[in-house]
Amino acid sequence: MDNQVSNYSVVGRIGEGAHGLVFKAKHIPTGREVALKKILIKNLEDGIPVNVMREIKALQLLRCKYVIKLYNMFPRGMSLVLVLEYMCSGLWDMLHHNQQELTLPRIKTYVQMLLKGTRYMHAHYVMHRDLKPANLLINHEGILKIADLGLARLYWPDGGRPYSHQVATRWYRAPELLYGARYYSEKVDLWAVGCIIAELITKQPLFAGESDIEQLAIVLQHLGTPTEESWPGHSDLPDFHKITFPESTPTPWPELLPGVETDAINLVKSFILYDSDRRISAKEALKHEWFQNRPPPDSLENMPKPMNKPK
Amino acid sequence: MFSTSSQKKFWTFSDDNELASLREKHNLAYIYKHGQNIDEFQRHSFFLSPEEERLLLKQYELHLKEFCKRFSPPMPKGVIGTAFHYFKRFYLYNSTMDYHPKEILATCVYLACKVEEFNVSIGQFVANIKGDRDKASDIILNNELLLMQQLNYHLTIHNPFRPVEGFLIDIKTRCNLANPERLRGGIDEFLEKVFLTDACLIYAPSQIALAAVLHAASKEQENLDCYVTEMLFRHAGQDKLAILIEAVRKIRSMVKMVESPAREKVRIIEKKLDKCRNQENNPDSEIYKRRMRELLDEDDIPHTGSSRMSLDTSGVAQVLSPSAS
Repeated sequence: MDNQVSNYSVVGRIGEGAHGLVFKAKHIPTGREVALKKILIKNLEDGIPVNVMREIKALQLLRCKYVIKLYNMFPRGMSLVLVLEYMCSGLWDMLHHNQQELTLPRIKTYVQMLLKGTRYMHAHYVMHRDLKPANLLINHEGILKIADLGLARLYWPDGGRPYSHQVATRWYRAPELLYGARYYSEKVDLWAVGCIIAELITKQPLFAGESDIEQLAIVLQHLGTPTEESWPGHSDLPDFHKITFPESTPTPWPELLPGVETDAINLVKSFILYDSDRRISAKEALKHEWFQNRPPPDSLENMPKPMNKPK
Repeated sequence: MFSTSSQKKFWTFSDDNELASLREKHNLAYIYKHGQNIDEFQRHSFFLSPEEERLLLKQYELHLKEFCKRFSPPMPKGVIGTAFHYFKRFYLYNSTMDYHPKEILATCVYLACKVEEFNVSIGQFVANIKGDRDKASDIILNNELLLMQQLNYHLTIHNPFRPVEGFLIDIKTRCNLANPERLRGGIDEFLEKVFLTDACLIYAPSQIALAAVLHAASKEQENLDCYVTEMLFRHAGQDKLAILIEAVRKIRSMVKMVESPAREKVRIIEKKLDKCRNQENNPDSEIYKRRMRELLDEDDIPHTGSSRMSLDTSGVAQVLSPSAS
């Protein structure tokens, strides 16, 4: 039986999730390293949080090399413990502590992994809704995997149901969410992917607002005041009339991403579009010339292999 | 997709007999465990028989249906279907004598609300329950983890409602049936009853959906046999068609057989249950209250080192980027 605590020996604490702690542990029978995410239920008014349910449902559905694996679960006292694949590093870590490791060929490989994971999720009608460097983890083999599916949910392509707009971390939040859209699609993930690609290349967040309003102001300032042509239906969004911003003309992309090659700009540009229907899909993006042009993406052997280091 | 789901792999059974033998096994296991000190003759009158458990559960399935129908705010059909699945799955591997159906029923509905994204707080939820609401919310929250565990964490349920929509769209485009929307009344009525049977533990949601559509059509004096043979199964082969026809026939006959258990019988069973139920799981018993206190205290993952891992979260650096709200 894998589903009891005595089969695991806890090696240390990795961090803190929204509802409890995350431990690094070893599964004794196999020697496999795992992450134990412990959700404390006793202090939660409504029992097991909905986002834990979402994460379980999404991870049970998704079986992809580029999405983190949920091995098992078991109760422990008044807590629920999720047994997840152990990932020793992540893109957030690389961006903040190992920038020199992020060369262009490696970035291309990470972006391919991210796009393959995203393509897979979207093919299964799962939208992640919180893609950001902190949720893109890297294992000891150098493989990037999408993690933290606590906001992930199934969507119906016909768009019949409203969703919460309070999703996604601000810097990576699509403009329709910033304007309070309740009917949106998996395209919110593609905006986030565009932001992440730009950030990997320049080592700077693309749009770093300090507040939701500032976030919107920055996006509008750089992409220019939306028009009915560039963003059909934007004036019908719930919060559109609550605030007005000064008229602006788009910042030329080479100014927004100084020193970045044209092909990379072209790729980022195809994600960062007001009109969500025009954003490139993960599947299409994988065919983009950026991946064919020199330098080519690095092979897995040349990718950094993060070591298990104490945090 | 149903074809790759845990529902198909772990929770679809071959027939009534398989379900009956699973249920009997857990009935006997309970009696064996708790009946050691009771002589054999009395044992039968003291404990519930498998048949009595069945009858009791049928009664509670009716309660489940009524509870969901009266729920405020109005509950989507998917939540109700999922709650029924959970309830039936739970009692395939547990005896009513171990866990009272009254308590499991409420927990199933509460869990189904969350899984189906019908977001109600526990306060809103228990406002729909008569009696002591604080106690009800304690019971539900205490049972939630147990229920998830007994479901083997297989939370995603494939209900027949979406296949029904698919059939209706298909009939509208490929069939010359006049006004297919008029089938809805008959379909809803059929699906409401189907959850009072074991059909969802034996058949695929699309088979149940088709049975509902065909039933509704025949109520409207229409015949969709041609649609099934010429359109749906045109390229599928005779053997597959035969399997489907048999499934639809069985599902329809299961629905036809639905009847409410006799009140007097259920009353007697409930009285018996009060005596033979497992007191460890009875929220009114002292032993239950003590166990809950212990669970609350035992809440750390043991650390391999000498010091125990503390639950204190101070000192763990938060990731610096702004977090999702």
